[in-house]
Amino acid sequence: MKLSVFGYELVIPTDIIAAWVSVILIGIVAGYIIIKKRKLGVVWDYMKTTNHRKIGILYLLFGIIYFFRAGVDALLIRTQLAVPNNDFWVFQGEKYNELFTTHGTLMIFFVAMPLLLGLMNIAVPLQIGAKDLAFPFLNSLGFWLFFAGSLFFNIAFFLNLTPEVGWTGYAPLSRAEFTPGAGTEFYVFGLQISGLGTIFTALNLIVTIIRHRAPGMSYTRMPLFAWASLITSFLILIAFTVLAIALYLLMFDRLFGTGFFSGDEGDPVFWQHLFWIFGHPEVYILALPAFGIFSDIISTFSKKRIFGYGTMVASIVLIGFLGFMVWVHHMFTVGLGPVVNTFFAITTMAIAIPTGIKVFNWLFTMRGGVIHFTTPMLFALGFIPSFVIGGVTGVMLSLSAADFQFHDTHFVVAHFHYVIIASTILGVFAGLYYWYPKITGYMLDEKLGKWHFWTFLIGYHITFFPMHITGLEGMPRRVYTYSEADGIFILNAISTVGAFLMGISMLFVIWNVYKTHKKKKKVSGDPWDGRTLEWTVSSPAPEHTFEPMPVIHSMDAYWYAKVKNKPLPATTNVRVKPLERDSIQPFCIAMSLFIVSTGLTFRWYWLAILGGVMLFALLILRSITDEREDFYGKSDDHA
Amino acid sequence: MKKVFLLSLVLLLTGCNITVLDPKSETASEQAFLITFSFWIMMIVVVTVFILFARFVWKYRYTNSRKHILPKDVKGNIKLEITWIIIPVLLLIILAVPTLAITYDQSPEWTKESEDAGIEIDVTGKQFNWLFRHRNGKEEMDKLVIPEGESIILNLRSEDVIHSFWVPELGGKVDVMPGKELTYEIKHPQRGTYQGKCAEYCGLGHTDMTFQVEVVSTQAYAQYLHQ
Ligand code: HEM
Ligand SMILES: [Cu+2]
Ligand SMILES: [Cu+2]
Repeated sequence: MKLSVFGYELVIPTDIIAAWVSVILIGIVAGYIIIKKRKLGVVWDYMKTTNHRKIGILYLLFGIIYFFRAGVDALLIRTQLAVPNNDFWVFQGEKYNELFTTHGTLMIFFVAMPLLLGLMNIAVPLQIGAKDLAFPFLNSLGFWLFFAGSLFFNIAFFLNLTPEVGWTGYAPLSRAEFTPGAGTEFYVFGLQISGLGTIFTALNLIVTIIRHRAPGMSYTRMPLFAWASLITSFLILIAFTVLAIALYLLMFDRLFGTGFFSGDEGDPVFWQHLFWIFGHPEVYILALPAFGIFSDIISTFSKKRIFGYGTMVASIVLIGFLGFMVWVHHMFTVGLGPVVNTFFAITTMAIAIPTGIKVFNWLFTMRGGVIHFTTPMLFALGFIPSFVIGGVTGVMLSLSAADFQFHDTHFVVAHFHYVIIASTILGVFAGLYYWYPKITGYMLDEKLGKWHFWTFLIGYHITFFPMHITGLEGMPRRVYTYSEADGIFILNAISTVGAFLMGISMLFVIWNVYKTHKKKKKVSGDPWDGRTLEWTVSSPAPEHTFEPMPVIHSMDAYWYAKVKNKPLPATTNVRVKPLERDSIQPFCIAMSLFIVSTGLTFRWYWLAILGGVMLFALLILRSITDEREDFYGKSDDHA
Repeated sequence: MKKVFLLSLVLLLTGCNITVLDPKSETASEQAFLITFSFWIMMIVVVTVFILFARFVWKYRYTNSRKHILPKDVKGNIKLEITWIIIPVLLLIILAVPTLAITYDQSPEWTKESEDAGIEIDVTGKQFNWLFRHRNGKEEMDKLVIPEGESIILNLRSEDVIHSFWVPELGGKVDVMPGKELTYEIKHPQRGTYQGKCAEYCGLGHTDMTFQVEVVSTQAYAQYLHQ
């Protein structure tokens, strides 16, 4: 669309206009509702909160919002690919490249990560008997950094400056000489800020799990979701640090013309190494927490303890460890040579073994149990076969010479969606249905939940199964069209139908949430007849939990107490609760980084300096405020 | 002989004509063999899991008659758990042997003085075209003509960003890197016309960065070089 403003000719693509219009409309409606229902106070409360459940809710809320946005991208991708030589709206060439870049980046960093971090934030402290995360202020800061980063990344689209370097940002394409626009900066800074928040949250979880378990809750009695969260947090700590370094170097290459990733002194392959040393563990960062959720859910709804707890924990640890030794399987075609290729082919195959152990242990947990087909359990059941399909194509991809054919085709697209959707997305859905009572006090409607499950699962297989074949037929990924002669029209059309079925299934979620909150039927603290500690506190989880503190003598202690019809033993002699003080500082710190990034992106260095000054002022302010004062009173003895 | 054997095995196992599984060179046949071979080994795993899954879910489902059963606690079973460590290890070893052999032979490498005799061709990728230069200096854009039955040695290099050279019928991908030359060998291509494409996302014109490959008789190739 052409506009003329003050005599300037402005060309604005129609998709951008559509985005502005829809966001403004949604904004007006949301604003109206908030003001009408006098909820401004709630918004302010959440902006300052340092409570783990509320921060978890914020993570979940934004994860879901971005899931819808990235899902719309996916539907646009599939519409463009539905028929050969398609000319759908504006999504050819550049716009298509922007589509898959936003879709991929959002899904990984701003959907999967916050949804998992949200669930960890809410459930882990409740599962291990901690009264909150160890550092409530840091927790809030972690969220707001994530928020600032995601906001920064998303704004790019509204300015028609969407990055188009793929979610992998390969150099030298991502260097300034090939993508000179500001688009790539949105990728670099968006991920950098949110990644920093993720690292903080991981640190927080590690300390919480190590230091704040209930008395008697030894490592051999900890629920598997807590175990998975612990190992995942270590993976985040290492992997996201590597990503931060990679992005930092890329930032220097782009802004100041250093040559880390090209030219004589640098090498574009360095970027690939750094990116995948982050990127492969990232896959496990997304999968392990989901494994943990499924372990708890399968055991709860089979009414049996998990089969082979020891090997389950060992395989989580082993997967986490091996996860750092396989990154080159993304680079078999780069020319690192036969020795490197074979080494990484073997390490990659090896990782299938601990994964296999887990699958069989889940199966044998159900054996001899009484399986209740609740919605969370259905998602867990849907996960097992789907994940196995993604797993075996993973082994096929690890055969390096075969990967020369698979690499960068739709076979790979099929593979990683099978793995990520089966584990992370089904896992998050399972977790949401499972812990919804703990989060809100209401139970989601089971019937709508089942509709959601079946339409989503069927749609997912219809979408991605055909892609295995289109890939083998020679369809590369990241291409916006194909020709009739390629003979892949029918398969692509089927994929598109499946994608829309998945889209429809999400409408059930919206309806379900609406219905549940309309009905306002409160549930008890233990609606699922659960096994772990989170079911001992009331629903929704109050701000002050575990008073008195339960003492743990076995795994699934709550379950065995119920079986024996005795209450859990309790004590009042406990570690003090992490000090919680509402504060708007985390939000401000995150926003100051947002300002720095804006300044650097557009080379408005004065703005960057302004943001930097703000940041340092806030850090100084933070280090001179003593939260303990208004808690313990002003005195010197606690110093 | 080996080639015929592999080819027939592959065709027997797939029985359909999916491009990659219907290879037109020895290089691609070896890859197709690995793909189908691993597919069938993996089917063992898939079928086992699916059967156990269906059986357990059905047999142990909640029914009114089982309402009040309190399942017996099973902590684990070392023998079973060892079984599902050992069997996958064996399957993976079976997979690893041919993988190692073929990977060792086929992996692209930075150009060194190659011992293999063959027809050498320089391939240059640039946004968004391919330039092929033959030994006698003949160059052509977006069209690669090669003789059948020979070993074709490609020396690939990019002028700008990373691209990837791919002709599904003739073999897997090789990345085309700036500032570094890679060598990839296509063994014994069969006569025919194929479509090649760029498989590494390289910017605006990536989708259209395709080229034609014609595998012709040796005489026709000689003629082509002197046209
Ligand atoms: C909801 C249904 C989804 C559909 C229909 C869908 C569809 C697609 C398609 C067709 C592509 C390939 C685009 C291309 O290469 O041309 C793609 C790429 C991708 N998808 Fe999805 N997707 C979905 C969900 C997800 C989820 C849940 C995740 C991860 C959490 C995800 C992560 C990715 C990534 C990382 C890429 C690669 C982007 C790139 O090439 O840079 N997708 N998706
Ligand atoms: Cu990987
Ligand atoms: Cu390309």
